Amino acid sequence: MLEIKNLHVAVDGKEILKGIDLTVEAGKVHAIMGPNGSGKSTLSYVLAGRDGYEVTEGSVTYKGRDLLAMNVDERAAAGVFLAFQYPIEIPGVTTMTFLRTALNAQRKARGEDELDAPRFLKLVREKSKPLNVTDDMLKRALNVGFSGGEKKRAEILQMALLEPSLAILDETDSGLDIDALKVVAEGVNTLRSPERAMVVITHYQRLLDYIVPDVIHVLSKGRIVRTGGKELAGELERTGYAEFAA
Amino acid sequence: MTDASRNFIETYERERAALPGAGLAWLGVRRAEALKAFAEAGLPHRRLEDWRYTDLSRALGNATLSTAPLPDGAVVLPDATKRPSVAAFHDIDRHVLVFVNGRLRSDLSGTKLPAGVTLMSLGDALNSTWARPLVETKVEAQAGNVIALNTALMRDGIGLHIARGAKLDRPLHLLFLANDDGASHVRNLVRLEEGAEATIFETHLDAGAKSYFADHVADVSLGKGATLTHVKIQDEAADAIHLASLTAELAASSKLSSFSLTLGAKLSRNQSFVTFKGEGAEAHVNGATALSGAQHGDHFCIVDHAVPNCSSATLFKTVLDGASTGVFQGKVIVRPDAQKTDGRQMTNALLLSRDAAMNAKPELEIYADDVQCAHGSTIGELNREAIFYLRSRGIDEPTARQLLISAFLDDAFETVPHEAARDDLRRLAESWFERHQEKTA
Repeated sequence: MLEIKNLHVAVDGKEILKGIDLTVEAGKVHAIMGPNGSGKSTLSYVLAGRDGYEVTEGSVTYKGRDLLAMNVDERAAAGVFLAFQYPIEIPGVTTMTFLRTALNAQRKARGEDELDAPRFLKLVREKSKPLNVTDDMLKRALNVGFSGGEKKRAEILQMALLEPSLAILDETDSGLDIDALKVVAEGVNTLRSPERAMVVITHYQRLLDYIVPDVIHVLSKGRIVRTGGKELAGELERTGYAEFAA
Repeated sequence: MTDASRNFIETYERERAALPGAGLAWLGVRRAEALKAFAEAGLPHRRLEDWRYTDLSRALGNATLSTAPLPDGAVVLPDATKRPSVAAFHDIDRHVLVFVNGRLRSDLSGTKLPAGVTLMSLGDALNSTWARPLVETKVEAQAGNVIALNTALMRDGIGLHIARGAKLDRPLHLLFLANDDGASHVRNLVRLEEGAEATIFETHLDAGAKSYFADHVADVSLGKGATLTHVKIQDEAADAIHLASLTAELAASSKLSSFSLTLGAKLSRNQSFVTFKGEGAEAHVNGATALSGAQHGDHFCIVDHAVPNCSSATLFKTVLDGASTGVFQGKVIVRPDAQKTDGRQMTNALLLSRDAAMNAKPELEIYADDVQCAHGSTIGELNREAIFYLRSRGIDEPTARQLLISAFLDDAFETVPHEAARDDLRRLAESWFERHQEKTA
């Protein structure tokens, strides 16, 4: 699904990622853990195609294609989804309009029919319910005035609706209380499937109690310094990142 | 004095006997006074504070525009697929009056009006007793001086009188078409008696003409509890100059809602002068502007709270691309007696290009102490983070930009009380963007 080889990325001339190698297969959930400043968010943004991240070396292959050669919306239409750590507020665009525009843009890019209003509405209602996304939220401007929990639930709703092949979750647990975390994790777990790969980026082990990964990587100073099974999370919880930060 | 100014004076001398209402002594005096005032002041220029950002004198320069004639025969409208403004308001059941070069083409206009509604040509209106105070409406502001040019030369237009309690059953749509590169001076007089109601649409378009001067003045007087909704679309030719002034006097509990969409013309200036004459009245003066190339669009608005307990809200949204220039100059005046005034004024501009420029000068002039007034101005660009976010969900860049621009303008459209008209305005704004994308692509 995703193959990252020797990826070096610089921001404003400063190297942040210093040679990442990572292979994620379909059906697997990989967690990337690491202290602040280790390059976790840089990795997620460079995969999504944000401006200002310069790839100085290495390659990223997604479903056999050169991901780095694709523009932001092409990546999305090809099934790459980034759940943002800080979802952007967009005044004047209702959540409903946004969801419909996004879904139909992706369907169109894939040569599928656009969904008409009634079919779309039915689909949104069906996907919103388990995430406690209310009609009121759907009518409001996207993320504007949403609480931290509402924003994250809206991100997962987008993911549920767009059904990506590769989902990258950037610090999805940040700013959530335990109840909100459970709802979000439940939403993510529902989307686990043999065809879908997930990369869960987190600072804390807490999220991984609810979204149990197949593989855990520890990122430190722009490099993956350790890879292990789900038990690695518990170990990190006890020892912290001290040994990697040093 | 510029050739253009001199030309207008000569036009007056030559044509005054043929101007409507030529037999009326009061009007003769009024026109002569207006011409004298115009001859002294000339066309407005940037050395005047109210015209600080817009130089009409320079724009008209040495153009000697003859009065555009009233043509016979067919007038060819622009292709609606290229100029969607042609189709604006078309799906709304309405009365239509067609003006060509500022002259009413009664053969293209036909309408049956309900009881209590009198619609007439400017010439007939000037002979009616209700019209004179409208023509004589005083505008204190310096910006109002240019109305003198129209008063001296006004040649056609409408008079709309609605009797007490009567209602214009359907919106009245005034379609102004230009097919000659001359000058037109249109005056519309609107009087709504107590409790009367009306909705007026205006569309300003070119139909064959390229470089012309459209000079419009509308004088509106609302009786107690009367309601007027006004929606205007200005989509003149790329080389045209459009000048429009609205004066409105509002009696107690009356309500004015005026909205203006500005898309066209090389240079346009919309002036609104609203004065509250009775308590409990409400005025909404709003607009949206989308310009590109070297276009220049100016909105000037003065709301005068002369009496207590009135509310006013002004919102102008401007989108500028290319090397276009936008202007907003607005003032809310609260006179010493006008306690409990609620006055709001906001202007927001979105610059899509490095070469575009916005000049905003919102002002409050408050002489009463128990009032609620607020004003604000923002100038910004499209949020790159927002574009990235939308694109990360598969929305391509042009669509993402369009979504954000539409969202930006939408607050202004939201103020239009007529739902179908509001939808037409939204569609026009969207098609502006689509057409514009093609141009830049």
